[in-house]
Amino acid sequence: MAEIVLAYCASHAPMMSSARMAAPEAQRKNFFGALEYLKDQAVERGVQACVVLSNEHFTNFFLENFPQICIGVGEKNWGPTEEWLPIDKVWIPGHEGLANHIARYTLDHGFDPAFSHQLELDHGIMTVYYELDNEMKLPLVPIVQNCAVPPLMPVRRAYEFGKQLGDAIRSYTGLQRVAVVGAGGLSHFIGNPRVGDIVEDHDRWFLERLERGEVEQILDMPDSEIELAGNGNHEMRSWLAVAGAMAPLTSTTLAYEPVHPWITGMGVAQWDTTGTQQGTRQNQEEPA
Amino acid sequence: MSLYQLHRCVYDWVRAGEVNSGTDVDGRLNFDDTVYELSVDERKAFVDRDVAGLYQLGLHQVLLNRFCRAAGFARDDYRKILEPFGETEERRGRWQR
Repeated sequence: MAEIVLAYCASHAPMMSSARMAAPEAQRKNFFGALEYLKDQAVERGVQACVVLSNEHFTNFFLENFPQICIGVGEKNWGPTEEWLPIDKVWIPGHEGLANHIARYTLDHGFDPAFSHQLELDHGIMTVYYELDNEMKLPLVPIVQNCAVPPLMPVRRAYEFGKQLGDAIRSYTGLQRVAVVGAGGLSHFIGNPRVGDIVEDHDRWFLERLERGEVEQILDMPDSEIELAGNGNHEMRSWLAVAGAMAPLTSTTLAYEPVHPWITGMGVAQWDTTGTQQGTRQNQEEPA
Repeated sequence: MSLYQLHRCVYDWVRAGEVNSGTDVDGRLNFDDTVYELSVDERKAFVDRDVAGLYQLGLHQVLLNRFCRAAGFARDDYRKILEPFGETEERRGRWQR
């Protein structure tokens, strides 16, 4: 059976690649330092494949057909789609076995994910994946979530999907060591009068809830409240899916920087997969 | 109601200039907006690259962001254009309590 040997989430502002040096040095070092640490962990732990959850930005889907969840089950996917993103445009290997197992397992456990045999991967996945593997050869199972076009999947359901995703990975027999990664958030505004604003107190509150195992305080948030920290804050669904996959473990925040040149609250948090954390169901608030 | 057509038009225009769109030529150069059933206001806003107009017409904000980038508007520039439409936020999130 596969084991999740690495689990983390990171923000995915495209400017982290396209305007890397625009961020103040200290912020840059803190954010990328955390990602560098995680990359080293991936090598050290012999990660064989990664599952990366991120959100759709009108890259693969449009208003005719907009799935809440789509699993990339193909042998390869293309990215990044943005011509201005300074990451080589390449075919990224998928992992058909793991991806199809996740699709089958989640279908059997209360979810109806769409699937795609070929996705275009935009900055949402590519920025974070690139920092995990600069050579972009690590097999990648992309999972694209709707975090933009109402009606959106409730955040609680994103968390519940994550639980099934975690169980799916752990029940897969074709690999031994898998990483699960969430890419997106935290607070940011795009395409509206508040573009550039960052809601730092929200971001710190959110990260603290994940650290304390108080995820229940997040899971009943309506979309109207989530949007107070930006329309981009809907991307918390990727974080919550990873939190679900790793429950009852809680996260540790490796970095948080409100990077104004990147218009985003940039966070990195890791779940301890080494078995040393004494996380139990008791330190998580159970749903009412 | 042509709001969907407006979205489709803007989306197709943005995508026409992106990598992997199937052509080496910038598809935005000869983009034909007449195939979309747009209202007079919608067509004018699209043709004029009128960011404020598109915002007021209800173009999805993720798409508006991509449109601005493709049309050459820097973020600070389009923020200035949209700022007059901002509203004072009275609501508070639970993290503020």
